[in-house]
Amino acid sequence: MIRKISLTVTSLLGLAAATGFAAEKTLVFGFVAKSNNNPVFQAAKSGAEDEAAKLSKEKGVNIKIDWRTPNEEDPQKQADAVEQLVNAGASGIAASASDANKLTDAVNKAVDNGVPVVMFDSDAPKSKRLAVFGTDDIDCGHKVMSELAKEMNGKGVVAILAGNQNAPNLQKRVQGVKEIAKNYPDIKILDAFYHKETPQDAAAKVEQVMQAHPEITGWAMVGGWPLFTDNAIKWQPGTVKVVAVDALPAELGYVKSGHVQVLLAQQVYEWGSKSVDMLYDKVVENKNPPSSFVKGDLIPVTKENVEEFGKNWEKWLPKK
Amino acid sequence: MSFPPKFRLSFAKFPEGGLILVILVLGLLLTIFGGSVQRPKFQTLPDGKRERVIENGVPAFESVNKFLNPQTVIQIAKDTSFFAIMAVGMTFVIITAGIDLSIGAVYALAAVAGALVMSPYGPSGGGGAVALGIIVTIGMGTLLGFLNGAMITAFNVHPFIITLGTMAIYRGIAFVQTGGQSIGGFPEGFRQFVRWEAWGLSVVPLIVMVIVTIVGGIFLAKLAIGRKIYAVGGNETASRYSGIRVGRVKLLVYTISGLVGGIAAVLSLGYYGAGSSGDGQGYELNVIAAAVVGGASLVGGKGTALGAFLGAVILQMISNGLVILNIPQNYSQIVIGLVVIAAVLFDQFNAWLANRRLLAKTSRIKKEVVQAGDVPVSITPETK
Repeated sequence: MIRKISLTVTSLLGLAAATGFAAEKTLVFGFVAKSNNNPVFQAAKSGAEDEAAKLSKEKGVNIKIDWRTPNEEDPQKQADAVEQLVNAGASGIAASASDANKLTDAVNKAVDNGVPVVMFDSDAPKSKRLAVFGTDDIDCGHKVMSELAKEMNGKGVVAILAGNQNAPNLQKRVQGVKEIAKNYPDIKILDAFYHKETPQDAAAKVEQVMQAHPEITGWAMVGGWPLFTDNAIKWQPGTVKVVAVDALPAELGYVKSGHVQVLLAQQVYEWGSKSVDMLYDKVVENKNPPSSFVKGDLIPVTKENVEEFGKNWEKWLPKK
Repeated sequence: MSFPPKFRLSFAKFPEGGLILVILVLGLLLTIFGGSVQRPKFQTLPDGKRERVIENGVPAFESVNKFLNPQTVIQIAKDTSFFAIMAVGMTFVIITAGIDLSIGAVYALAAVAGALVMSPYGPSGGGGAVALGIIVTIGMGTLLGFLNGAMITAFNVHPFIITLGTMAIYRGIAFVQTGGQSIGGFPEGFRQFVRWEAWGLSVVPLIVMVIVTIVGGIFLAKLAIGRKIYAVGGNETASRYSGIRVGRVKLLVYTISGLVGGIAAVLSLGYYGAGSSGDGQGYELNVIAAAVVGGASLVGGKGTALGAFLGAVILQMISNGLVILNIPQNYSQIVIGLVVIAAVLFDQFNAWLANRRLLAKTSRIKKEVVQAGDVPVSITPETK
């Protein structure tokens, strides 16, 4: 028992000494993303930290990012983290909801306690959050199909890879793809194919569909799931055209090899930086965003700019 | 360093005293080194509503200790409650030298079952819908625990294997039932009850945690069946020869583990407002860790409900404490892992020490017997 107590005391004393006790006058912005294991949220973290450093320098205030993201997706831990941030005196909170239902009460409680909350990537629309910064999903679907139609010269058979059929944001993207496809009479939409959102399940689905429908000449992927694994595409580069959402490091190789023609990158770095801007404006300047939905652009990544785009990830991912 | 005999004796009578001491020391350190924080100041109006206090035309703030304030302490207790409730059930299982890896999946499937029952009634659902939802959630947890126990006893397979399998099966069923989506929109009365606040603090999960701990403690310490649970864990063969129905005892402890998983799921549905197949992923490790830190021995025969509760509190305090000390959260996993290993090593060291003391005492008594010739000497351990 003595050993146990002394172990705890010593370790905590050491840790406390290492971090310093002095409470500084700072603006603390808490961040609760979906999971630490997803590189897009590491990019958001870099964006938040860089923007906090930039604003601190420019505005003469000390802005600190308190990153409280669970390692694996866990909506319960997200809600707890928002509550903990309020208790820890955070000046503002930015969150991306793994489960909007579970985060809504925690967000409302934070706002009721005078802590503004903004969302990025994934909204909690029924909550009292100030605004959301993210992708317009219908527009995302439009862009995927427009780019694909361009690559296919306006003719061919298209399959849509659609992820979870119950996810509202993905349904909107599929809807967007179908809307634009109507403008191309020589393009036939075969179907939207749903699957569990893991790279392995997605890659298996693509393979199954290709075996059953060898007439497919284009894939509209409203998420980049199969491209997160190596060797997901079995056909010769260019024989089937592919346009997919997101441009994670693992996906870039498919563009370089010619298997994928266009990736539409969400502004993952800006998820962090823009959230810091919105919180700073609200907390310090008492200014609300122009709209409760702040649209993030989609950046096309092709063979021409893939090398240059890839360098962003060196900046966005944490240094080893 | 050694304590005087009197002090040592009090710890022997109340083994959880050491855990309480650890909690107090942790609390003291966090109070001292956590520093203070500025929070918006609120006042309660006569109609019960809260509003920001404005002083000299600007919103006022108040300075509070980062750890020692009612909100943070109750927050830690609330965060602990879901794990602590399940840790009490896990302790029952561990005392019998068993393990329940499926507890996180039981929590998820019970929550999903309750959510599917309550959701169609919507926020306007009445007491009947709530009662049905609670019965289904707890009933599902109990049934899943019973199935675990039944398979373990019927097939005579190690609980690690059976519960590893059911962990995947139960979560798979939850996924199939929900399509991976979150189910929300429960009767408002249910949500308000679980989130009910006293002086601005959510206390219902905390109260349930205390009740479960007390009932679990009484069950283990005061009832005959509690003693049988310890007996099975201490020596299964001897228990069988002494007439204890070992299979029934095992069936009971896994059913209890499922029951408390269901209770935790009810609280989760009410507090967080939704159930999904992803709920409780990886929680089995936290729950087992809480039981082990609380003194439950994985070889069986040892553990208490109060110890499980205190173990969960210690782990949560460390997790929240690192945040209070502004240490990156990822270190909490490392620290919690070290604490679990330290607790097990300490347990083994303690057992070794007790064994050594017993051997020393036995040999001393033997010597006394030899020196005294044929004079009979009691070998009952002396009491102080």
